[in-house]
Amino acid sequence: MDSVFIISYVVIPLLKIAVIVLILSGAIAYLTLLERKVIAHIQVRLGPMRVGWHGLLQPIADGLKFILKEDIVPSRADALVFTLAPIISLVPAFVVFSVIPFGPPGMLEGVLRWALSPFFSPETVQSIVESGSVSGGFVTDINIAVLFVLSVSSVGILGIILAGWASNSKYPLLGALRSSAQMVSYEVALGFSIIGVLLIARSLSLVEIVQKQQQDQLWYIFVQPVAFVLFFICGMAETNRLPFDLPEAETELVGGFHTEYSGFRFALFFMAEYASMITASAMATTLFLGGWLPPFPSVPAFSFLHLVPPVIWFLLKVFLLLYIFIWVRGTLPRFRFDQLMKYGWKVFFPVALGNVLVSAGVLLRFI
Amino acid sequence: MVNFLKRVFFVDVLAGLALTLKYTFHRVYTEQYPTEKPKLAERYRGAPRLNNDPETGETLCIACDLCAQVCPEDLIVVGSERDPDTRKKVLTTYTFDTSRCLFCGLCQEICPTNAIELTQDFELATYSRRNMVWDRTRLEQGWDRIDYGADRETASGRESSRYERKTG
Repeated sequence: MDSVFIISYVVIPLLKIAVIVLILSGAIAYLTLLERKVIAHIQVRLGPMRVGWHGLLQPIADGLKFILKEDIVPSRADALVFTLAPIISLVPAFVVFSVIPFGPPGMLEGVLRWALSPFFSPETVQSIVESGSVSGGFVTDINIAVLFVLSVSSVGILGIILAGWASNSKYPLLGALRSSAQMVSYEVALGFSIIGVLLIARSLSLVEIVQKQQQDQLWYIFVQPVAFVLFFICGMAETNRLPFDLPEAETELVGGFHTEYSGFRFALFFMAEYASMITASAMATTLFLGGWLPPFPSVPAFSFLHLVPPVIWFLLKVFLLLYIFIWVRGTLPRFRFDQLMKYGWKVFFPVALGNVLVSAGVLLRFI
Repeated sequence: MVNFLKRVFFVDVLAGLALTLKYTFHRVYTEQYPTEKPKLAERYRGAPRLNNDPETGETLCIACDLCAQVCPEDLIVVGSERDPDTRKKVLTTYTFDTSRCLFCGLCQEICPTNAIELTQDFELATYSRRNMVWDRTRLEQGWDRIDYGADRETASGRESSRYERKTG
């Protein structure tokens, strides 16, 4: 019993976490390359070409450079907070992935049986596989996952605010102030855009939301298109991406909140931005694009789509959304700050609220 | 009303996205310069060359000094001496200062024997000012310079240019 407990609640989850952290770090590194390449081609340039074939080793070179650079703490800065800030902004972006389902429950059952059967009796293997979410394609499935994601990912912005404050410098502080104002005006619309999905799925667990989409034979983007667009736009604002990258705003604020940062601390902020991009895409995939489900999940004519592993479908959709993130960055200029606030409060918030009311009304009246 | 609907459905944003998508597949303008040399115009005027007769290997220059006289920058210096036997002028030295050259091509236009010629070679950068004055051997045999395209290993070390170590 004891060994079963340790394996199914300590060893296997730790292994999953290690795999996810490693894959996520690699994905962040190569997302920077993807972004540089895509934007370069939008601008009819080539982008990185020197390090490795078509610049494929560029992220590694960049990482090495960040490690080797001098790490400066300004003399008037609050050293403790200054050190903590990048960590505070990076960790939540990774933590969110503990609840995001990459694949259906029971996805790893076969692998686990194969790996465990030489060491344990069949009964022990059975009890390990069946305990908790051990065999699922996710680290854990909690019944308040959506709330968890929202609250944890807003902690990331605290890191930005702390960085701006601790730097004891004008531009970072301005960036931090903008960041907090932006967070207040976009988090509300973001939250409301999710409620529509929650009303239909009747669950806050991300695994159940995807399973409901399978039952309803429909991705929720088709039921809640307005909410999806809102979620995506607010996700962009939430991750400080262009056209909402006002906390950074290189042209006005030098570098915004990370002006005073250098070396690996700067790299942490950079990683945090890309990690939260992946988080936002993964959340949008789970909530609106059917997570690990292939298109037309329950139509027999399209059953051949089930031959592709669910994880691949999930990653494909996330990649698509990330590409759109980059594509939008290559297309739109930055919003002015008053425009940002205007859209946040006067457009997105009422539309999100209206969307919730209409969905709730339709659900009450007709279903 | 139309404008309102346009804004609601992000028509302009979508049009912008379509444009950037179109340019994503556009032919790239960037030249990978040192590894990939640009295609120059046929009559591009670059580094000077002093031609030899391909059959005898003797210089084509008859030391008439016309190029030096026509040069608006006065940067060509032709040194010659008279051969006492044949009573002909023989070229001894010839210097060409590329730092002052404006590549007008008047020297090659006026040359009666096509001895001085501006080639398509445009890589004239060097590490010292003195090295920009080309002497007769360099004009005739070309310049032993660092080739950044062919061998990237030597590109980082200046020392690899043997010519510069000799003269500079």
